[in-house]
Amino acid sequence: MCFQISILNSQFQILMSFDTFLNLFAASILTAGLYATMSYGLALIYGVMKLTNLSHAGVLMLAAYGTYWLNTLGISPYLAPFIVVPLWFGIGIVWQHTLVKRIMLMPPIASLLFFFGIWLIMQNFAYLVFKSDIRSITNEATLLTYKLGPLVLSQNRLIVFFAGITALVSLQLFLTRTYQGRAIRALAADAEAARLSGIDTDRISALAFGLGIALAAFAGCLMALIFAFDPEFGRSHLLKSFCIVVLGGLESFVGVALGAIMLALAENFSIQFMPAALQDMVSFVLLVIVLLTIPNGLMSLLKGKK
Amino acid sequence: MLTVNNINVFYGSVQALWDVSFEVKQGEIVTLVGSNGAGKTTSIKTISGLLSPQSGSITLNGERLDKAPAHKIVDMGIAQVPEGRRLWAGMSVRDTLELGTYLPRARADKAKNIEWVLSLFPRLKERLSQAADTMSGGEQQMLAISRALLSKPKLLMLDEPSLGLAPVIVENVFDVIRQINQQGMTILLVEQNVNHALNLSTRAYVLETGHVVKSGNSVDLMNDPQVKSAYLGL
Ligand SMILES: Nc1ncnc2c1ncn2[C@@H]1O[C@H](COP(=O)(O)OP(=O)(O)OP(=O)(O)O)[C@@H](O)[C@H]1O
Ligand SMILES: [Mg+2]
Repeated sequence: MCFQISILNSQFQILMSFDTFLNLFAASILTAGLYATMSYGLALIYGVMKLTNLSHAGVLMLAAYGTYWLNTLGISPYLAPFIVVPLWFGIGIVWQHTLVKRIMLMPPIASLLFFFGIWLIMQNFAYLVFKSDIRSITNEATLLTYKLGPLVLSQNRLIVFFAGITALVSLQLFLTRTYQGRAIRALAADAEAARLSGIDTDRISALAFGLGIALAAFAGCLMALIFAFDPEFGRSHLLKSFCIVVLGGLESFVGVALGAIMLALAENFSIQFMPAALQDMVSFVLLVIVLLTIPNGLMSLLKGKK
Repeated sequence: MLTVNNINVFYGSVQALWDVSFEVKQGEIVTLVGSNGAGKTTSIKTISGLLSPQSGSITLNGERLDKAPAHKIVDMGIAQVPEGRRLWAGMSVRDTLELGTYLPRARADKAKNIEWVLSLFPRLKERLSQAADTMSGGEQQMLAISRALLSKPKLLMLDEPSLGLAPVIVENVFDVIRQINQQGMTILLVEQNVNHALNLSTRAYVLETGHVVKSGNSVDLMNDPQVKSAYLGL
């Protein structure tokens, strides 16, 4: 292609073909779909319960192993979420009713330590059961790609993207159209007022917590389709999720989507200029920059209040 | 209908209510008056189950409710319009009204009831899609009252509904309170606007630093020299 976009660096002029640009852009959007799915669970639990769920990373990792394990039993990784996600939803509910309910009444540091501890336990469990080998799921579909003009798209990434978006849209419809969903939003906005409207806040907290965990598990299942993983898996994604919710401003669906797109663009385009090994640093640098410059996130800029 | 019997309520180790007793009979409007910090909000929150009394009892038509959780008390038929309105930020007027009908027994004739509260406050009708917290103070109060009414209470408690509202809006809100009372709703009202409240109510209790110091028919209290000088500025 003769059409080229030039980006001026301090010393070099880096040339990127239009094809490369298009492909990077498409890859960013696909990644953003997964990122939004992965971070919304964290945002939901924070929004409703003001809890920072560090064990989010562990759920991503164990759900990926769950998909892997089911695959070795002959269950397609595309069907695994139908087993893994409801299971984690249940675990989330039980968790909330037994432990988290108590933790919520304690100072934030207690809940941070609690969830950090849970994450460590999950990692140790994975080391014990699955060993430290790096696993991945490969089948004939793994390398399948589609060509769309200059675009080359991987089938699995497309599936991950559409599955993630479907989950997020369904969740959004649930939160805006049903009694239980609206009750979750009411609880996030003012718990006491929710109780005064007859809402059983213990039950609704458990539902919200279960949904947040289920969404993390779903993201973990999707990740197993496209990433290799070991018991440490999830660590960098936890940081990315933080980056996204901070970018998007907490508790906002549009914000999380915007944050996910920003991070995915930054990551995908930055590897053109720096070693891929540094890609995970992008989210960290972005997180620090955002915290220093727009602590209330992108949504605050859109609303014009800072 | 509602009987509050010698309740003692604490915030941590600080006592806020001392042996407080009062009652509200079917069809009445009863007012709790008292200056800042007297314990009016504490009384109402305790009835709603947001606080629990250390001793004493609260009954609704003979049924004990002081051990029940807040959402059960709403289901038993006591709704509260909290001080400061406490609407859900970011939620539209329509969603707020929908959630007002959250209780299964309130969902049954939801459409009819929403129509009824919108006829009480026609201004809300034009604002159904607006975010609740972006409305004017008066409109927010109307929405808060509507939300409480949609739980189909037998007893409606309002905590300072006139707070921060322009005089015309206060008139409007008080008219609606009178109107729903005439339709049969029993009302427990907390007000700093003592003159207004005594005019509206049948009976009143005066709270001072957590004690009930006076009670009686509103007309009599209006002419009580102490009440006059302390609360009516006469
Ligand atoms: N959350 C709290 N923690 C500790 N003390 C409290 C709390 N809320 C109220 N109090 C105290 O309890 C007493 C009664 O307060 P309450 O809010 O019931 O007064 P009130 O009559 O509603 O006053 P106002 O007219 O200002 O609303 C006050 O001394 C107040 O300082
Ligand atoms: Mg008060």
